[in-house]
Amino acid sequence: MIQYIYDGSFDGLLTAIYEAYYRRELPDEILSQDSPQQSLFIEKIYIETDEEKAKRVYTSIKTKISEFALRNCFYVFLSEREDRGTLIYKYLRLGWKVGKEIDQNLKNDIVLEVHKIRRQVVKEVHLLLGLIRFKQLNSGIYYSQIEPDNNIVGLLAPHFAERLSNEYWIIHDVKRNIGVMYNKVEWIIRDLNITGDIKLQDNEEDYQVLWKEYFNTIAIKNKINPKLQRQYMPKRYWKHLIEK
Amino acid sequence: MDILKKLKILSDAAKYDVSCSSSGSNRKGKKGELGSTNESGICHSWADDGRCISLLKILFTNYCIYDCAYCVNRASNDVPRTAFTPDEVADLTINFYKRNYIEGLFLSSAVYKSPNYTMELLTSTVKKLREEYRFNGYIHLKAIPGSDKELIEKAGMYVDRMSVNIELPSDEGLKLLAPQKNKNAIIKPMSFINTRIKQALEERQKFKHSQSFVPAGQTTQLIVGATQDSDLKILKLSEALYKGFKLKRVYYSAFIPVSNHPNLPALTSPPLLRENRLYQADWLLRFYGYSADEILSDEKPNFDLALDPKCDWALRNIELFPVEVNKADYYLLLRVPGIGVRSAKRIIAARKFGALSYEDLKKLGVVLKRAKYFITCSGKHYGIKNMDSSEIRNSILFSSSTNSSILDGEQLSLFSLYPQILPTNDVISTITGEF
Repeated sequence: MIQYIYDGSFDGLLTAIYEAYYRRELPDEILSQDSPQQSLFIEKIYIETDEEKAKRVYTSIKTKISEFALRNCFYVFLSEREDRGTLIYKYLRLGWKVGKEIDQNLKNDIVLEVHKIRRQVVKEVHLLLGLIRFKQLNSGIYYSQIEPDNNIVGLLAPHFAERLSNEYWIIHDVKRNIGVMYNKVEWIIRDLNITGDIKLQDNEEDYQVLWKEYFNTIAIKNKINPKLQRQYMPKRYWKHLIEK
Repeated sequence: MDILKKLKILSDAAKYDVSCSSSGSNRKGKKGELGSTNESGICHSWADDGRCISLLKILFTNYCIYDCAYCVNRASNDVPRTAFTPDEVADLTINFYKRNYIEGLFLSSAVYKSPNYTMELLTSTVKKLREEYRFNGYIHLKAIPGSDKELIEKAGMYVDRMSVNIELPSDEGLKLLAPQKNKNAIIKPMSFINTRIKQALEERQKFKHSQSFVPAGQTTQLIVGATQDSDLKILKLSEALYKGFKLKRVYYSAFIPVSNHPNLPALTSPPLLRENRLYQADWLLRFYGYSADEILSDEKPNFDLALDPKCDWALRNIELFPVEVNKADYYLLLRVPGIGVRSAKRIIAARKFGALSYEDLKKLGVVLKRAKYFITCSGKHYGIKNMDSSEIRNSILFSSSTNSSILDGEQLSLFSLYPQILPTNDVISTITGEF
């Protein structure tokens, strides 16, 4: 058995897949260096990330399989699942064999699994586009905290860059200590840790009170249904909502 | 009166309107302005009754000259009354929007002074939001029945969606419960809006920068259970509205008793299961190619509350089944209970790679405990021995009664029964069920 270990970046994973092809090896698993699944008893090969090699794999997925497949790989990667490297590797091997038709082969367990994960990621992105709550800080910046299951700040940013194009805003993933920041021109992702108190704009709390009042009033009292509410809006997202 | 109190009164008065959707418009953000719209709409929260909150749904005022028996805002009802100013509405909308609480505004109103007077107030509010506050997010505006079409025309240039509520499905119902209204005054603006939407679309094809008009289309709402109208009558009305006026949606609202008017039926709880059956049948009309006459008939004008309308139809047409999943075309697959739009498309895609087995179907999202009675897989049937509709019916009801408790009076989740319908711009993504 062989395990490939990459540095945890998407480029690293693509490099690992490149190496597997050109060394004509068939690694049983491709794992991120922080993965606890690494085994002492299995031969490990450490892959050094190489942008040039990663780029070649990237282009090859796009031209030899499809752009859709490339996006699938990236979304599976963002899911941060333990077995994502191995799954993407298996998916791509199949993809290079059958070409762009791969995503129609829904009987295949690997394709099915990739699509399932992709759907989960897309679903969480869509949900959070609605559930993000900004608070206006006394500096005027709109600031929000999230703790998503998947690593999706980069997928959320374009939506808000378009919508709130004339504001400064930050979406802070406090689970991963990263954030996306927007300066009215462009957005960037960077490590982010906030220490100390957050000071709010004077009228910020007034709008929070108004929103809570609206939220409570709009529910029809003879239709109260907490189960349905949780089904659409799972409880793990409530922590950062104003109204809950 | 302070703004908090106004918001409480005027959102409380608006909450019985079902529509809260922010879909159908796809407008990019403009640099330096606030807002954009999303084709599929975005929910921002879910209230304690499980309904999605997408828009700030408020009345401009709840002062009303009408006295409709089913309505909480009727003139004779003793409730606190108030009105917003256009700037108050704009300030709330903008500040809620920037904090990402909402996708936009849904502005409606009781009829204050006269239909025209009210419509003018609404129009000036949305005009202000667009032109002074440079708000580019979603706006859904109610058109007030009885107001001049020039006013509706003007408002339509600023908003994404417009709706006129029919409320009661028949003229007799209106006479009984809302004697000051008549069907014609409701149908007229709908017909006018439809004509203008069509016209704007044609202009759009000729001139790139032509004025848009209600780009997300119009909708309406019907109250279910306040009158004696049958389900067939309601469904026929919806069908006519979809065909005649190209409505985007007809919403159904189970009647919630808000007064003890002698002309109103005595209800212990709102007829929510009936409402749910109507939505299911509505789905069949819009996405599955059924007609109202197939779903219900004069002999059987009301829904079977124990069984969904698609299953009911299949049992009444049992001679068409079982169908072979590896051969049946898309529209026939759609007629199989337990196969929805998404799974039908997946079946079509996946069977190119070889015949599908019973296990494959499960992976593709087919609800087998429903579908198994109506299909064969490579010639093999997995249902019960006889294709006998009453036996199958009993078997389905028995299996569903053991693991779910559907009670009248409970809000039902529509989307657990029918898959969400997806935009068709990306072929592969539709097949694989992507959002």
